[in-house]
Amino acid sequence: MIRLALPKGRNLEAALAAFRAAGIPLDGVDANGRSLLWRLPDLGVEILSLKDWDLPLYVGHGIADCGIVGSDVLEEVDGDLLVPVRLLAGRSRLSLIGLDPALPAPGTQVRLATKYPQTARRLVAGRTWGAEILKLSGSIELAAVLRLAELALDIVQTGRTLAENHLVEIETVAEVAPCLVVNRASYQRHRALLNDWIGRLEAAEVVS
Amino acid sequence: MRVSAALPTGVAALLFESARRRRDAEDRLVVHLREAGYAEVILPILDYVEPYDSLLTTASRGELYRFVDRDGELLALRADFTPMLARLLAPRLESLPLPLRLYYRGDVVRYQEERAGRAREFYQLGAELLGLPGEAAEREVLRLFLELATAVGGGSLQVVLGFAGALDQLLLAADAANPAALAAAVARRERSAVRRACPALLAVVENGVPERPEDLGPEAAGRLRGLLALRDELAASFPQALLTIDLAEFACNSLDPRMSEGAAEGERSYYDGVVFHAYAGPAALPVGGGGRYDRLFKALGAEIPAVGFAISLERLLEARP
Repeated sequence: MIRLALPKGRNLEAALAAFRAAGIPLDGVDANGRSLLWRLPDLGVEILSLKDWDLPLYVGHGIADCGIVGSDVLEEVDGDLLVPVRLLAGRSRLSLIGLDPALPAPGTQVRLATKYPQTARRLVAGRTWGAEILKLSGSIELAAVLRLAELALDIVQTGRTLAENHLVEIETVAEVAPCLVVNRASYQRHRALLNDWIGRLEAAEVVS
Repeated sequence: MRVSAALPTGVAALLFESARRRRDAEDRLVVHLREAGYAEVILPILDYVEPYDSLLTTASRGELYRFVDRDGELLALRADFTPMLARLLAPRLESLPLPLRLYYRGDVVRYQEERAGRAREFYQLGAELLGLPGEAAEREVLRLFLELATAVGGGSLQVVLGFAGALDQLLLAADAANPAALAAAVARRERSAVRRACPALLAVVENGVPERPEDLGPEAAGRLRGLLALRDELAASFPQALLTIDLAEFACNSLDPRMSEGAAEGERSYYDGVVFHAYAGPAALPVGGGGRYDRLFKALGAEIPAVGFAISLERLLEARP
């Protein structure tokens, strides 16, 4: 029995569709519903439903053997996980956004609002301008609109929210993809099954 | 006045039952080590930083708790036993009867980002075999490690074996500009990056070993064959442990100086021969590991074969069913 952790929220559909395309139907799983655990004995799989931010911890501790989680979260809470493949669906961008289309001038100090303080710190370390990082837990765009911060570092999917709020995507910092992550010890134990899954996901051309 | 019982991040006090549990396990391991002919060394908790300067990587330097002593000397709290032992023994080796079989126990302190399972102070028990050349030393040390870890950890022990520099030739041929980045991708088992760079490495990512040992180059192929034989021999003696060879796990542990740039996130990279990690229970943090580290002594001016291991006793006990 292998335990797979699926994320609640925006990456769930991408994950289910990818497994379905690969001939691994995780039928009956509604990770946005109230159940927390499903058993699929025919596939030899148990599914855990977790929040994105908690998922790397569960996989890191081996409570789940593997999972699907966004690379944005993974960069922020690196848990020394293996990352064999990235899903093609559900991709987005991690971008610097603001009301002003230009990056801060060299030598200036600004405020930067984000859900990703570690990533933001690494980003700012390589720039000619400085930033005080404000860690927020949601509505990052609002911080920029209401000028709590000059810059925001956040996920951009279609850009519609930005346009509606007169915000500009100033710079794309990273491409974000839902990733298959695997616990190091589980990889040794379940290598044959995981290789089979990865092979099927690759054959179905739903991962890179 | 009420006194807070809170402790700094990353340290813990073991009270009552948890203390007894650890001491019991420690006692059993120590008896075993003595019976195997290993003698204890007790090392200081404080040492100068300077003798280790050339051995430290950016990552391991960042983990040190350093401070200036009252007399102006830069000191650090003990973060690793092996280099300290090597530095103390290197100048004395000529007067010592070889081989030396030594064990140590105690706390090491390393600064770690606050993360579950990553203590900043943790207890290690380890052994070193010095002056016995060749595969005999690797066999003895791996055997001893397996005996100790199975004695305390119970079932579900997994030992992943490899050797330093195994993939160097493939990595350098595939990406001469940035082999360290490719090594990191191999260690994270990132298929598409590896496939683009080198199809021969893809087999290592999938199965832990190349399709044919010769793919690694003649010298590494010979070492791989030797390691496969050693693995089979140990697996027969320790059926309760799962022993696998996975060269991708140690892709960042290179021997080629061209790959040292940006090497090894936190990995203690003095190993230059057989290297291994052990996992117990479900957790992804190793409960122990070790390998051959002749080059550590060489860097300290002594020529001696050296193989050793350390066990994180608390993690091993946590994994016990």
